[in-house]
Amino acid sequence: MTTATLRQFTRDATVKTADLRHRAVIQKNIASYDAAVARGMTRFADWQNARSHAAAIKWETINHLDHYLEQFERNVLTNGGHVFWAETAADAREHVLLLARRHGVHKVVKSKSMTTEEIHLNEALEAADIHTIETDLGEYICQIRGEPPYHIVTPVMHLTKSDIARTFQEKLGAPLTDSAEELAMIARANLRREFMTADMGITGANFAIADTGMIALTENEGNARLSFSLPPVHVAVVGIEKLIPRFEDLALFWPLLSTSGTGQAITVYNSLIGGPRQAREVDGPREFYVILLDNGRTRLLADPEQRDALHCIRCGACLNACPVYKNIGGHAYGTTYQGPIGSVITPHLRDAREWSHLPYASSLCGACTDVCPVRIDLHHHLLHNRRNAVQSRFDNPVQRILFHAWFWAMQSSTRYAIAGKLGNLALRLGIAQPLLRPWTAKREFPMPPRHSFRDYWRQHGHRA
Amino acid sequence: MDIARDNILQRVRAALRVEAHRPPAPTGTPIFPPIADPEARFREEFAALKGDIIENAEKLRVFLNGFSKIATDGSELTSKTVGEPNAGVRECDLGVTSCDCLVAQTGSVVVSTLSAGGRALSVLPPTHLVIARREQIVPDLATAMTLLRKRYDRHWPSTLSVITGSSRTADIEKILVMGAHGPKRLALYFAD
Repeated sequence: MTTATLRQFTRDATVKTADLRHRAVIQKNIASYDAAVARGMTRFADWQNARSHAAAIKWETINHLDHYLEQFERNVLTNGGHVFWAETAADAREHVLLLARRHGVHKVVKSKSMTTEEIHLNEALEAADIHTIETDLGEYICQIRGEPPYHIVTPVMHLTKSDIARTFQEKLGAPLTDSAEELAMIARANLRREFMTADMGITGANFAIADTGMIALTENEGNARLSFSLPPVHVAVVGIEKLIPRFEDLALFWPLLSTSGTGQAITVYNSLIGGPRQAREVDGPREFYVILLDNGRTRLLADPEQRDALHCIRCGACLNACPVYKNIGGHAYGTTYQGPIGSVITPHLRDAREWSHLPYASSLCGACTDVCPVRIDLHHHLLHNRRNAVQSRFDNPVQRILFHAWFWAMQSSTRYAIAGKLGNLALRLGIAQPLLRPWTAKREFPMPPRHSFRDYWRQHGHRA
Repeated sequence: MDIARDNILQRVRAALRVEAHRPPAPTGTPIFPPIADPEARFREEFAALKGDIIENAEKLRVFLNGFSKIATDGSELTSKTVGEPNAGVRECDLGVTSCDCLVAQTGSVVVSTLSAGGRALSVLPPTHLVIARREQIVPDLATAMTLLRKRYDRHWPSTLSVITGSSRTADIEKILVMGAHGPKRLALYFAD
């Protein structure tokens, strides 16, 4: 099956894999991440046990999700907030637009949220003439460049200082600079004005705490805190899998997410929001809305084999560990969620046929599974998705025939020997190489030796 | 009657009829190393985050002289220590607040709308000064969460924030820049 999505993926992946500048930028960025994470892990007495605790807590939540969702909703309502349920991305967008109209909103400030990327909220708001501003520095840079985030945690991992300076010059009329600090200060000054005049703040949630009816937001910059503190209305778009049972669970999940996300012991700001401004408080929004989003998550939930993919806390560690991500980069995937976790969940959350190629973008090395802080069995799920794609006959028919032929040849020593001889001959005559073009186009293909190992063994093996 | 709510919960319940494979159980060994001297650890962590601890009343006076527009949470502790505010939160160049507790494990300051004069005062001003007592230091996050639960259960403030250092970003080439959106500087004074 060759879809337009697959053609785009192959084209972009091919270009990026051969782009040495891209590779150097990513390698530098991920190397500093790796060093920070290695330091961060030494702050745990037992990292492996921390992962096991987190996996057990997420298992308990996801496998009793109805209970925790209802408890969360009850507590948000008790705290004076409102809860909307959205079955699809369109429903979630509709809820936000409705709220924007109800409150006469002209300007929205947003803090970083992959869930709102997933539902393409900015486009919907802009189409309704509501000025929407991303306030996380990385997301702000993406927005003014008109690019999607390259990485779920590090949105502009692929850009250098000078790339960003040129963007600021071109789009904001800022003077060119080679200082990261000056760039950040330009953004700070511009965005400060927007915070002061926004009518609505939109955030996601890193966690939703069932027993207190709060959402938790993790950040370093303070833009999330400003987004839920200054505007008169706060809307949080929350995937239903974000639940954790207890307030106290954050004593584990905050350090775990920070360590896997950036290597920090804990990020600068970890906030909990449990409702609108109260009578005894001096400031804060007068309304607090939570939109609980399904958008395919219950389909993933219905697959007990891969249900643990809903344990994901979006730390990005599996992206940074993935040899394929490091070569093709975040944009080639064409998805909101990139890397191994994206290739596991996207075929479930979106169209299984259209995205059936993603699980093949993996060497199945298992590095993703090793680094996952909540022990998602990522590389086996990639394999499961390949199996699902083949069973649904989404795979390439030529590939299917070749695998049948391979299977048939492998079942008999004679057939295997003959196939080996034919393959050797075809390579030596140069007829097989064109079939291997995707591999050989950018790599040298060595000539196979005249004699196979079997020949050698027959002649010398027993004497060696 | 919310159809979306019913549909989602119904799908969740239908999905959960088949149980998923359970992950291996965690062991009873501690997740974080024990903290022998919470105050020493807090100071070490806070300094590593580039936070400033103002060591005595004289140094506090010098520090405060650097600011002309000061907003405070108006609490008894801050009023006693730094006096009355002379600016609002949106104009000030220094925000002074108390806190709920300090966490030795991470060098964090825990604030809430009730302990720190609302939501904006500890994030909007360019410098944030926390007035605390040494007895507010707790060893780790778990103890902090237990303390907050005991203090607020069923009467939670609308927001709580665990503040660990001053605002920063590393979005550009992983280069650390201080003061992305929140305070560029975080300072702490022990009033006891």
